[in-house]
Amino acid sequence: MDPQARIMVLCGKGGVGKTTISLALGLRHANQGRRVVIVSSHPLPELAISVSLDGLGRRFPAAAGNLFVVHLDPRELLQEVVERTFPVPIVAHTILNSSIFRNLVEIAPGLKEFYFLARLQQLAERKRSISGGSVAGPSGSGDGDRDYDVLIWDAPASGHFLGTLRAARAFETYLSGPLAAAGAGLDRFFSSSSNMSILPVTPLEEMALTETFEMSDSLAREFHLGCDALILNLVSPLVTASEGDIASLHVDEASAPALRFAVNRGLAERRLCADIRGRLAAPQVSVPRIRHWDGDLDLLDQIGEWLNIPVTI
Amino acid sequence: MKITVYLGTGGVGKTSVAAATALALARTGVRSMVITTDPSLRLRTALGLADGLNEQQVPLEGEAGELWAALLDVRATLDEAVRLYAKPGMEARILNHPIYATIASSLAGMQELMAVERIDQLRLRGFDRIIVDTAPSRHAFEILDKPALFADLSSSRKVKIVGRTYQLVSRLGLTSIGRSAIDIYAKAEEILGVNLVRQILDFYSIFYPIAEGYSRRAERTVAMLRDPAITEFRVVTTPQKAMRDAAFFTEALGERHFPIGAFCVNRAWLHASPEPLPGGLAGDVLGWYKAVSESHRAAVWSLKEAYGNQVRDIQVFSELERDVDGIPALEILARQIHIAS
Repeated sequence: MDPQARIMVLCGKGGVGKTTISLALGLRHANQGRRVVIVSSHPLPELAISVSLDGLGRRFPAAAGNLFVVHLDPRELLQEVVERTFPVPIVAHTILNSSIFRNLVEIAPGLKEFYFLARLQQLAERKRSISGGSVAGPSGSGDGDRDYDVLIWDAPASGHFLGTLRAARAFETYLSGPLAAAGAGLDRFFSSSSNMSILPVTPLEEMALTETFEMSDSLAREFHLGCDALILNLVSPLVTASEGDIASLHVDEASAPALRFAVNRGLAERRLCADIRGRLAAPQVSVPRIRHWDGDLDLLDQIGEWLNIPVTI
Repeated sequence: MKITVYLGTGGVGKTSVAAATALALARTGVRSMVITTDPSLRLRTALGLADGLNEQQVPLEGEAGELWAALLDVRATLDEAVRLYAKPGMEARILNHPIYATIASSLAGMQELMAVERIDQLRLRGFDRIIVDTAPSRHAFEILDKPALFADLSSSRKVKIVGRTYQLVSRLGLTSIGRSAIDIYAKAEEILGVNLVRQILDFYSIFYPIAEGYSRRAERTVAMLRDPAITEFRVVTTPQKAMRDAAFFTEALGERHFPIGAFCVNRAWLHASPEPLPGGLAGDVLGWYKAVSESHRAAVWSLKEAYGNQVRDIQVFSELERDVDGIPALEILARQIHIAS
């Protein structure tokens, strides 16, 4: 991998299409011959990912060998730490099954996020192979320890995403000792735009945009991270239409409801799109709402065509 | 009093549907209260609520019972519980403890815990119906699962005794006392770090009276949530997500032995398109609408085919042209919702 390449972070409000965009972006790069790892903190990996990538080998044989989806489950990561620290299986087993330990882990603020970030950093710095998580790749989990070119983080919804980034800092501020030092290291790593390429995803809807702006402000203020590109998802054809064509559109109370809906909504999206430019300077990448598709892979493939985002921006 | 709990993944419009349901019920003449655990301002916007109030009646024109809305401020609810239930002199120590500072925001499912607390507070206020809008996906079930876990941790004598003994032991420097629980703590320290474990134990040694009181109240609320004569669970989804959400929620609710009262497919594009399509940009945008609309109809059809036997009530709501930004817009959604009062 290019040493300049950063983690491509797909973030934003819940339900805006972060997982879909992550997969489509990964598929696009994998099809172009790059080795891609998508790290997901999605709580339902089986829903979002394996369903979508079913049949990858048949339809995109070139991508199939290159695309890996790693689900980092903080509980599994912690289990690994326990097993490493206590190599005697019965001891590790006793600890992991103790309600005291489980509750401590559950209660410790930010502990799970802390372990998640630690593994993500290891992945980014190539200190460990990618075989540590559960790999949903077409070639199974055995082939996961080779190098990769693109690292994509399918981040949790904005509030939890910011909470994850803050976890490292919390460890630094309320603890001392080795964990605090590790927290400080993580905080430095994830607060650096030389490691993080921030790519918020949003539909052109007021609520989602407001949340995107708030998230971007927090990222800039707390972590000195700017946005590299703003991905506008599910946009209307009217967003990219010319002024002249727009001027030719007329709808009124007498128009068919379908036309009225499609035009009014498209015009509203167009206005929001114009508003963004004054608020967020990042370049915009528009992904239209796809008209027809034949299965999840076809949808991802069509979306990928619009995701012209270089690995290093 | 009856309770309706809306579940769903992010971005499907749960908050709007919950608010519209409360409005629809108020229109039948009952007193309804919608309570959101979603930290976003969606409900505030949807109902046109004033700033700074955590609970208020929404004025309605025309015939109606009463519509109330409550925003769940997790930190404020927890602070209040500390003030009410902390042992004398402990209030400030708890509120200023470094663990407390992060617990309100970091403990997964804290919003759900506080929602349960809030339902208990509302129980005696004479509402006919409480509609609960849960936080998205990940924590959706913690409203049911978390109180048990929390009670288990905090009211367990073992934790209290071990917590105190542990402090004593660590002060005396007797690190290996051989008792199994102490042993676990010592091992937990190796994994989590000494400071973290001590901070947590220290915090819980002063916090447990609040947690105990909480778990007693939560028991009552969770019993109501578990009673199908009182509580109905409804799943909100969108056409695109319908099949995956249905698979997930039927399994997750099934495991917990809760029936799904209704699937609500929200944000569907259902208008028929005129034939033939006009030319130019109008034809293009209408063709686009038609294609999306057909995929939505197909998704609803698949959902009914696959889950119609398990969930008899499958409702489909049209997407509005603009964000739900006040009562008039909410009325349009409310008219589409079928719910027995």
